[in-house]
Amino acid sequence: MTSPNTPAETPNQPAQSVSQSAPEARKPGKLQVADLITIGVFAALYFVMVCIATLVSTIAMGGFGSIFLPAVAALISGCVYMLLAARLGKFGGITVMGVVIGLFLFVSGHFVLSFIASIVFPVAADLIARAGKYKSKVLLLVSYMVFSYGLTGPILPLWFMKDAYVASLQARGKDAAYIDGVFANINTGSFFLAMGAILVCAALGGWFGQKMLKKHFVKAGIV
Amino acid sequence: MRANLNDSSVNASRPSATPATGAFAYAVRPTLDPRTKLFLLLAANLMLFFHVALTTQIVMVVLFLIPLAAAGRWKTTLNFAITYAAFTALGLLDPDALGLPWLHVVSALAVGLAMMLPCFITGAYAFTTTSASEFICSMRRMHAPEAVVIPCVVVIRFFPTIAEDYRQIRNAMALRGIAAGGWGLLRHPAQSLEYILIPLLMNATTVAQDLSVAALTKGLGREGAHTSRTRIRMGVLDWLAMVVVSVPIILDMAGVLR
Repeated sequence: MTSPNTPAETPNQPAQSVSQSAPEARKPGKLQVADLITIGVFAALYFVMVCIATLVSTIAMGGFGSIFLPAVAALISGCVYMLLAARLGKFGGITVMGVVIGLFLFVSGHFVLSFIASIVFPVAADLIARAGKYKSKVLLLVSYMVFSYGLTGPILPLWFMKDAYVASLQARGKDAAYIDGVFANINTGSFFLAMGAILVCAALGGWFGQKMLKKHFVKAGIV
Repeated sequence: MRANLNDSSVNASRPSATPATGAFAYAVRPTLDPRTKLFLLLAANLMLFFHVALTTQIVMVVLFLIPLAAAGRWKTTLNFAITYAAFTALGLLDPDALGLPWLHVVSALAVGLAMMLPCFITGAYAFTTTSASEFICSMRRMHAPEAVVIPCVVVIRFFPTIAEDYRQIRNAMALRGIAAGGWGLLRHPAQSLEYILIPLLMNATTVAQDLSVAALTKGLGREGAHTSRTRIRMGVLDWLAMVVVSVPIILDMAGVLR
């Protein structure tokens, strides 16, 4: 029963797909239904993590706090990512998870362009993790850091927010130089701060996730 | 991809190629077709993208609130309406005239949030009024790949399980005197994270296996088109909603509404 779910080693992968039913055996290493379900389960957990991160960053830092949403999410969801990578060990899993998350974010009212970020970064993360055959700890950590940038989509509107306010000030007859002065350091500064925070938090979260993986799952023989 | 989705949503409604299954599927539906909801979401996003004028924004918000109210979500509708009104009012403040420069922060925030509210309104509408099977059915109709559809099914199916697991984990923790009380979780964040997330993940791996077995038994792994008991169809109301929502945006772009 467990055979479709054991993390597939690359060498025995073709053999495994052959043992599956005929239509799925076409491409070795292709994601099968069991894999897709595993991805779905982890995507659900990841989505819950994102919701918690939204809550935390909004409560802690007010309305503009959502600029730190990806950082907080990266900090807490390392375990989920590492376990998915370890259990699946196939190309496509991380990508699909990113796309599904992007889809749910869009349906729940986030910005459409966030969809692009949630495709591009997970694909990159997937490629990096594949370079290490989903085993290399360093590459997994790097891939998690890249993956975390996939969540920058939801904070893109903040950039539009500034433009909107500038437009509304201009409509009321303020001059542009004065307006720029109001925002100059708020915007670029906090942007780089947020991007840097993602990097640091993702490194911490990924490290924590790998530690937890070793402590709980390797010992229990799940991974 | 986005534009594609939208196009196919318009085209896919024509053939209505699904075999006849549910006999009562065409009974009166209080909500719009999922694909119309998608269109509303896109329209809301378009407004964000193109910085529509305030008049257009107000018109659109009112338009977006109508289906929400029609679906019987009175409280949500009212909340959104009040929030939007408050933000708009705050955004119109003139900090300099009042002599309080720091009000710029509040005012900017209000303008920004008012701008994002249409997205949240349509999002809330789409999220609360679409059943899981409708969502899946419309995704299949729009030719979304199975690799995306199946995880989506699982995500929707898995949310209640997570909530249930979480309650049980917290009970077990309380029994052992760990992080009991309201602020207990926040005192040792790393420990709380570990104690809650690890059992959730442990369970997730088991559930993933169970679900796979169940789903394969039910034929989720079959190639080819899947039938659905839920039927979705674009009605007159759907087309009407699309047209009505498009008009203010087009007028805004043409520069009529200012």
